[in-house]
Amino acid sequence: MITTSELKEKIIAGLGLEDIGIDEIEDDMALFGEDGLGLDSVDAIELTLIIEKEFGVKIKDMGESENIFSSPNTLCAYINEQLELDKK
Amino acid sequence: MKIYDMDKKSYFDIKEIKNPSTKVEQLSHALYCFENDIFDMIYDKSQPALVKYINSLDQDMLYQDGFQFLYFTSGTTGLPTGVFKTKENSIKQAEALLKTLGDRKFNRVVTTVPFVHIYGVDIGAVVPKLLDIDVWTKENFLPQELASEAEKEGTLVVTTPVFIKALNRIRKDADFSGAYFLTSTAPLPKEDGREFHNLYNTSVSQLFASTETGLMGHKIDDEEILEAYDGVNISQKYNMLRVSSPFLAKKLLRDGAIEDVNPPFQTEDIVEILNDKEFKLLGRSSNLAKIAGKRISTQQIESIVEGIDGVDCAWIKIRRDDRALKDEILDIYVESKTKLGAKDLRKILKENFGAMNIAFKIFNNVKIIRSSVGKKIGFKEL
Repeated sequence: MITTSELKEKIIAGLGLEDIGIDEIEDDMALFGEDGLGLDSVDAIELTLIIEKEFGVKIKDMGESENIFSSPNTLCAYINEQLELDKK
Repeated sequence: MKIYDMDKKSYFDIKEIKNPSTKVEQLSHALYCFENDIFDMIYDKSQPALVKYINSLDQDMLYQDGFQFLYFTSGTTGLPTGVFKTKENSIKQAEALLKTLGDRKFNRVVTTVPFVHIYGVDIGAVVPKLLDIDVWTKENFLPQELASEAEKEGTLVVTTPVFIKALNRIRKDADFSGAYFLTSTAPLPKEDGREFHNLYNTSVSQLFASTETGLMGHKIDDEEILEAYDGVNISQKYNMLRVSSPFLAKKLLRDGAIEDVNPPFQTEDIVEILNDKEFKLLGRSSNLAKIAGKRISTQQIESIVEGIDGVDCAWIKIRRDDRALKDEILDIYVESKTKLGAKDLRKILKENFGAMNIAFKIFNNVKIIRSSVGKKIGFKEL
């Protein structure tokens, strides 16, 4: 199981958001778009690579990733779900 | 040719669309205009500053006879430059590109790029139009999704260096030998080109181009020498590349006025010319950063930063990090009465550039040093 804090740490380090603290990213904050964290399409690709490398979880379809990437909460839930499935 | 919408898993008609917003709609409308000789303006409507600038122009000036498309690109002075291109520009350019692909046979183009700039339209739409093959696209691609498509025989992939690097990083056990890749002008380090070739058993042709000149040259995989396309004459002045070709824009809209382009066109690319067909790119003299596939003038960003209350002066240097997908990072040096925070700057950049996350690092507490003629040349820490 990973926590949203662990995930946020990886996001900050992986995307080079050096000036943003973990506390500044709320659990339900939108990751993409003009509101929230404001990541863009290149960040999305980078994020899928980070998640695969750090947690061993692959995101295979950009269609499904729209919901997964909604916020740190949804992303964290997806990673944990996949990790649970891998255990079985 | 037809458009295949990979998100909806269905074909999409080529038709007139009033305000195209999705990639598929942009492609459909651009092809409709191209097929029916209807002039159109192609630009990224998600960039508020660009939209504001275009709306501020004399609208009659934007419609010039005999042109197919008006593109907008970041000008070196900080204001966008309008570039008028003819249909002939695009067709001759596509023919020159196809010549370099030799005997390869393609049955479709898969493109990851949007159709809001010349690369997307001329390469992602006009090339398949000439080949009369379908274009497959979707709003957002994952590297794994592109990899699955590239495994299919006869696929021409039109993409960017971001995807080449991403495909290298996923190291998928796949064979792309039935496909061929084209990437845009943003630099692809030769190590990445070599790794891609070795991993996937295919090649990537890196197109060197600008909106004003169209295609100039290309290189394959880890090559360092660019070969000029057929019809492109290269020369240099002050070590910077000059180009004349049938792909060159005939008119520009610069600083609010229309000007004719008299070849050769002087670029700001520093080159070493090896012979009449080959040259090496040594760097860029201008202050243009390439971020997420879009060209942005650092001067424009400096002006935005200097417009913030309390900021006296800003100076921006472009730093490269070849390992990152976003390989150009802006180091922003700020001479200011108060500390400029990343959060505030990010908000202001979003107001100007929309949904584009610009990678930057702020250096506060500095004094910007200027030359005797007022040009910013460096900084010292306070």
